[in-house]
Amino acid sequence: MPRKLGVSIVLAVLVILALLVPELGGDYYVHVFALVFTNVILAASLRPSLTCGQLNIGHSAFMSIGAYTSALLAKNLAVPFEIALLCGALLAAAVGLAIGYPSLRLRGVYFAMVTVAFVEVIRLIAQLWVSLTRGMSGLSGIPKPSLLGMTLTTRASQYYLVVGLAVVILLVLWKLEHSRLGLIWKSIGMGDNLAQSLGVNIARHKLLAFMLGCFFAGTAGAFYAHFIRFLFPPEFGFLMATNILVYNYVGGRGHFVGPILGAIFLSLLSEPFRGSPYETIFFSIAMLLTILFLPGGLITLPGKLAELKRWRAAASPTPSPAA
Amino acid sequence: MTFALFVQSAIVGVSLGSIYILMALGLTLMFGMMHIINFAHGAVYMLGAFVIYYIFFQGGAPYFAAFVASMILLGVFGYLVERSIYRPIKGGIEPTLVALLALTTFLQAAGYPVFGQLDKHVPPVFPGTRNILGVGISVERLMIIPVAAALVIALYLFINKTRLGAAMRAIEQDKEAAALQGVNVHVVNGLAFAIGFALAAASGALMAPIFKLDPMMGEQPLLKAFIIIILGGLGSVPGAILGGLMLGLIDSIVATALGAEPAFLLSFVFIIMLLLFRPTGLFGYAS
Amino acid sequence: MALLETRELTRLFGGLAAVSRVDLTVDKGEIVGLIGPNGAGKTTCFNLLTGFLRPTRGSIVFDGEDITGLRPHQIAARGLVRTFQQTTLFQDLTALENVLLGLHLSSGKGPRQVLFSRRHFPADEIARGREVLDFTGLAAHADQLSRNLPHGHQRVLGIAMALAAQPRLLLLDEPVTGMNLDESGRVMDLVKTIRSRGTTILLVEHNMKAVMGTCERIVVLNFGQKLAEGTPSQVSTSPDVIQAYLGTGVADA
Repeated sequence: MPRKLGVSIVLAVLVILALLVPELGGDYYVHVFALVFTNVILAASLRPSLTCGQLNIGHSAFMSIGAYTSALLAKNLAVPFEIALLCGALLAAAVGLAIGYPSLRLRGVYFAMVTVAFVEVIRLIAQLWVSLTRGMSGLSGIPKPSLLGMTLTTRASQYYLVVGLAVVILLVLWKLEHSRLGLIWKSIGMGDNLAQSLGVNIARHKLLAFMLGCFFAGTAGAFYAHFIRFLFPPEFGFLMATNILVYNYVGGRGHFVGPILGAIFLSLLSEPFRGSPYETIFFSIAMLLTILFLPGGLITLPGKLAELKRWRAAASPTPSPAA
Repeated sequence: MTFALFVQSAIVGVSLGSIYILMALGLTLMFGMMHIINFAHGAVYMLGAFVIYYIFFQGGAPYFAAFVASMILLGVFGYLVERSIYRPIKGGIEPTLVALLALTTFLQAAGYPVFGQLDKHVPPVFPGTRNILGVGISVERLMIIPVAAALVIALYLFINKTRLGAAMRAIEQDKEAAALQGVNVHVVNGLAFAIGFALAAASGALMAPIFKLDPMMGEQPLLKAFIIIILGGLGSVPGAILGGLMLGLIDSIVATALGAEPAFLLSFVFIIMLLLFRPTGLFGYAS
Repeated sequence: MALLETRELTRLFGGLAAVSRVDLTVDKGEIVGLIGPNGAGKTTCFNLLTGFLRPTRGSIVFDGEDITGLRPHQIAARGLVRTFQQTTLFQDLTALENVLLGLHLSSGKGPRQVLFSRRHFPADEIARGREVLDFTGLAAHADQLSRNLPHGHQRVLGIAMALAAQPRLLLLDEPVTGMNLDESGRVMDLVKTIRSRGTTILLVEHNMKAVMGTCERIVVLNFGQKLAEGTPSQVSTSPDVIQAYLGTGVADA
């Protein structure tokens, strides 16, 4: 099956990259690629919600919840990394439930507006609750990640951790998308009224897709907190939320690989301008160009090129004399 | 809170509410016709304020001229956005919303290299204070109220008394039927973009002498406008006006008592409670 | 025996009654037509019966159970399934996949079975899906994308999907709108066959010829209220009905 093959190839490439990056590059590349894989998790975890037709422009808020929860538990209460990470992810999912339950009944644009406002709410809480989060001074001194009591001190080992997390999460998401559940999500996205009329409890399924995304975004956030070891509230604002959406659109909405491709492609290309306004300018232009000229995203590019070639070949059936 | 402080924050609240109303009206108008939410509305507000900075403060033109220029320039920009982004995008509302998001982040980010990293300030246009009920209120803030009211009335007259306004109402009712009756839907949508952008520019231009200017300054007013239209109901003009005044007052009074950021948190909590307990109440069941 | 019974069914939109105190009964095995001029409240009535709108007042009883206020998927699960007035399909799927979704979404599988199922469609479901397509005359188009089907076939596919969800009462919203005489005749024959296989039918339709030739009983709505009820010949000679249709200029429809 070609679809299955495509996914296996991408996964294989990811794993090979994971093995090679620390060997071939220095700490700088390890750092960059660790962030690329964090973005891959974020992008892929938004997909179920988007598949259900929910435009979630607040994904970074759930990353922030996971990051702060895990960091504070590990730092203040000396909770082991694995448990802190799990708590961060669970709290993100629980908050997802609290926000999702009232707003998922809303039609698309209302939902989008609530999620945008929610990003700001989480940022403000992180900023104002100074006694807990240190507010705008930023939270530092977050312990490094550890596994079964062993602290992962080297950059390379932390990098392997995020690659492992990404592979597991992608496998889970891939499995779900290709199960009956994924089909139900897809049917809701294609026509929620029709799905309802055929017996689908759309509210419950939308909520499930949303919470699942929140859980994995929380996981990515928790890793990020222990990897960067410094948290600053405005980092998880509207811009990052938009970026996660952009990965999905630029990569392509039509296939599971789309958001993964989008996250890798955009994170690597924007690396030279990371942190400057030019990063955002680059992202925005990539987004606008994609929506206007390649609505299916990068994954449809090979097909489009092949089409173009066929069209060219058809237009000039005789080889040119110069050849 | 003393009585004087209450009066002061109430008047400031009405003036703030007027700004929110101008923002929310454009959003509601565009939603009513095209079922889109213009995420770029906050960025347009920001640009409207920067036009004042360059034409009034740097260029030395009269404030009124700069104000009109701001509305016209951004109105034209709105029309161009309709032509180059809204119109070509096929495949539903969602890609359009994402494109508008991208436009927003582009305008904000481009603001830093273009306008510079430092905050800008516009000197007062109407300096001084005026005594109302024994309380001094800045004239700058007072002036916002009649200007915003005039714009709202102008919009009302335009929509209800002109042929183009009738065409807009026709599209709002039924796009296909309007097109069949010879309404040029593209041109009228472009007009709605132009009006929405011009109103957002006017809000920014009115606030320019009061707040500091930076590329992110539009984000808060945009979020406030979102809260207003969720409160008042998308597409509803009276809802936007009432919601705008309510939020302006709450904002100003709560902000005086607790600070601006807790006031925002509170309004969001209020929205979630509203959705939770009256999900169909304020704007009816989606049908 | 009444399969569906509404009592004083009422829906207000901002003080205006779209449907007002409608008593509607559908017996097991009947084909009932719901007609009326534009804006008479037919589609609102459908939306109320299927849970897409909540009634302001009144009750809906389906097969002895009060289903007032239930949500659409709960009502569908009880065997009251509708089609839509506009052609509503999963556009990017083939005809067969559309029908399979109809089967599948209503199969009532528990969450665990949903999660751990290996393939989308087991062989027995595919066989049943093909059977439904066969029955509705779409077998030749099974593997075509539904958006590429001609309009008439798309409408029939909508009915096929609803059938796949195994309705006991099938609600058809304007099934022959936009069809030529030949096509609408075939759809009406299909409707009769569906009934003969044991499914009760309530249909809304503008095409008078189709309604008169197919339904055993007709209910006429006007301004949200029940204006008349009876056999096709009783209804078509009722002065009230003629008046209502003359008033809107579609007497010859």
